[in-house]
Amino acid sequence: MKNNISTMMDGELFEDEADALLDVIKRDASAHRDWATYHLIGDVLRQPEYVRKDISAGVRERMKNEATVLAPRTRGLTQKVRNIALSAAASLMALGVVTWMSVQITPETNPQLALQQSNIRPVSMKAQAKSNDYLMAHQEFSPSNDMNGGASYIRTVAYSPEEKAQ
Amino acid sequence: MRRWFVCCGLLLTISQAYALEGQANLNWLKTAAFAGHQTEYTGIFVYQYGNRLETSKITHLIEADSEYEKLESLDGPKREIVRHHGQVWCYLNHKMVQVDSQQGRGGFPSLLSDELSALNQNYIISDVGQGTVAGYNAQIVLFKPKDDLRYTHKLWVNTDTGLLLKATVLSERGQVVEQYAFTQLKIGGDLDRSSLVPSKSAAKVQVEAPKANSARVAMYKSGWVADAIPVGFTKMTEVQRPMPGKHAPVTQIVYSDGLSAISVFIEPVDSDEDDVEGMSSRGAVHMYHKVVDKNLYTVVGEVPPRTVMRVLDSIRYNGK
Repeated sequence: MKNNISTMMDGELFEDEADALLDVIKRDASAHRDWATYHLIGDVLRQPEYVRKDISAGVRERMKNEATVLAPRTRGLTQKVRNIALSAAASLMALGVVTWMSVQITPETNPQLALQQSNIRPVSMKAQAKSNDYLMAHQEFSPSNDMNGGASYIRTVAYSPEEKAQ
Repeated sequence: MRRWFVCCGLLLTISQAYALEGQANLNWLKTAAFAGHQTEYTGIFVYQYGNRLETSKITHLIEADSEYEKLESLDGPKREIVRHHGQVWCYLNHKMVQVDSQQGRGGFPSLLSDELSALNQNYIISDVGQGTVAGYNAQIVLFKPKDDLRYTHKLWVNTDTGLLLKATVLSERGQVVEQYAFTQLKIGGDLDRSSLVPSKSAAKVQVEAPKANSARVAMYKSGWVADAIPVGFTKMTEVQRPMPGKHAPVTQIVYSDGLSAISVFIEPVDSDEDDVEGMSSRGAVHMYHKVVDKNLYTVVGEVPPRTVMRVLDSIRYNGK
């Protein structure tokens, strides 16, 4: 189920499959939670200005606990230890999901990089300049010249961190 | 029977409407190519590829006999490209260097009508509405390829002048490979023409006339062929050109499908230099080098990596 949700969020499910899955998410509370969590993780990974998170359930939960504070604390230490253990487990799990997701995402968004890795070699300044010569020679005949005009030449001089390093 | 006729008529009208729509969208492309040369403008545009973003300033002016164009980077180290009188000058390492002479290229309009009709065969061209870019109204035209050997192109064309305001290259999964968009633009009117007059600071710049590029790029038949060029790409030119830092002239064969081009370079391996093999990319442009039988093959194109690799692996010598 979790796999399916993640696949759908990547836009890789067919339309009918996605419809069926959305139906399940609407009905099944745990699937709905997974759906929300994945979106939260996605939001955090994209580093937006703010992250939307539904905290109403959390607040309600806390309120319940507040009400029972009237009773003397009996299981103080054990409860605390259990809480810490649980939250540690939860954060480990979240970390696991995040790492798993980034492992999933990286090769997808970076096919060039994945391709490069098989025959990667350190690129010297000279080699960089040489590849610019090929880019220039190619740009001269590219149809993008006609539409973008000189703007398409930006590709040949675009600033890359490799050049910065030298 | 009559109903059947009505149906047929309706179908005909619909198919004609579709054909006309395709034609109308092609006209937008022609207009954009025309306006790119014939419009005076100055503006700031952003270029985004991968996770990088660059801001540049562009000025395009028309003179009686030529076009003047200056592209300067606004962030990172200073980089500048000037196209004037059909020549390309590049400000690199604190000097202006002539990097290219566009002698091999015919005057505009360079988008030929048969190239445009080939576009219709290889892309589904559709009108996807209107939008605004840098405060100007734009018609949005989508070129979706019929195979996975080329990218999807989305163009925002100004409805008044035909100038291209924004262009996005998308992968088959709909991810942005690169995009460029004006954020600030002034079309026509009173533009600053001072850059047309060589300034004192420009005179100080050392102008290096490269020995290599002074030779004329001539049409030529090398005998090299690449069999796996995708359908719809036609051979535009074949030249033998000098390249900076190369001992022997390099054969360049250029193919285009009207929206993107693939260049194939073949040259003997220079023994005294370390030729880099493998794939590299800059935005939508991918470059692949490989040494085969003492020749260095290089394929460059605004096409997905798989196309570049496939083309390179199909290069062979056919004899003259």
